[in-house]
Amino acid sequence: MLQPFFEWMQGLSLSNWILTATWASPILQCIHLLALVVFSGAVLIVDIRLLGRGLIKTPLAQIARAAQPWLFWSFIVLLLTGLPQMASTALKQYYSPHFWWKMQTMGVALIFTFTIRRKVALTADDRLGKYLPKIIGLISIGLWTSIAVWARLIGLLS
Amino acid sequence: MRSLFAWADTLESSIWLRESLNAYPILLTAHVVSMCLFAGLIAFWDLRLVGYAINKVSVTEIPKRVFPWALTGFAVSMITGSLLLYSKPLTYYANFYFWLKMGMLVLAGVNMMYFHFSTYRAVSAWENDQKPPPAARYAGVASLLLWAGIVVTGRMMAYGGLVPGWWKALNLDGP
Repeated sequence: MLQPFFEWMQGLSLSNWILTATWASPILQCIHLLALVVFSGAVLIVDIRLLGRGLIKTPLAQIARAAQPWLFWSFIVLLLTGLPQMASTALKQYYSPHFWWKMQTMGVALIFTFTIRRKVALTADDRLGKYLPKIIGLISIGLWTSIAVWARLIGLLS
Repeated sequence: MRSLFAWADTLESSIWLRESLNAYPILLTAHVVSMCLFAGLIAFWDLRLVGYAINKVSVTEIPKRVFPWALTGFAVSMITGSLLLYSKPLTYYANFYFWLKMGMLVLAGVNMMYFHFSTYRAVSAWENDQKPPPAARYAGVASLLLWAGIVVTGRMMAYGGLVPGWWKALNLDGP
């Protein structure tokens, strides 16, 4: 159903430029990876705290608030560098099962992160139960780790 | 040096890793995921030193409570990275970005040790400062730049052709 859209993306002059310009792809990939590192840090510093480890002397909500701008802006950079890369290899992505797994997991992870996880992370520690934050932290780590795995496998196995 | 890499290249276990269908994707994926764990958390430590993030967290709380997680990521990253190197020793030996990455890893280690044995010794005087003293901020900036360089050169190792002409002239690929 989406094949014409992917064919259109592949045919864009931007896609062609990324494929032919010597440094375009490596530069996009390097910035994407740097943004991924910042994003991972912003996710993990909160998730580890949700597990009841890490920065336990600091209130959870305070850590979550401090990490939020880094989480948001690094995700924007991930999008800005990821979309042109995806467009330049659109048909390869379309036929890769890992790409679809990544996108499906990403949809779930984004909704989860900006709804349930955000609500729990911004709740005062004494109002959180013993197990809920741990479950939320584990789900978050699982979702984002699997996205990184699928993303890496698109390039390696497709 | 080349003979050492050439010797490793002929070992049975190196050949097995090189020829295995699953070893390379598994190792590389584990390398990237563990790098995210390590570098992501270290980035926040560096940002705290620079005074840009988690400023209300005491500086001494991070090594005590976050470093064990970061070091776990570093250990997995080192093991998988070493195995990746062992799987194609001669390919990496001739790779410009591999050596650049190794050089920056050494510098990052030196920066960390210098900070630990100098500025950090007086940490009790500034651990709660939202903006740490200049020496700590410089160490944080140096660490951020070096780890960013390590991540970038790690990615660039896949682009062995995009290297300076003088490197190609060294002809490290062998005869």
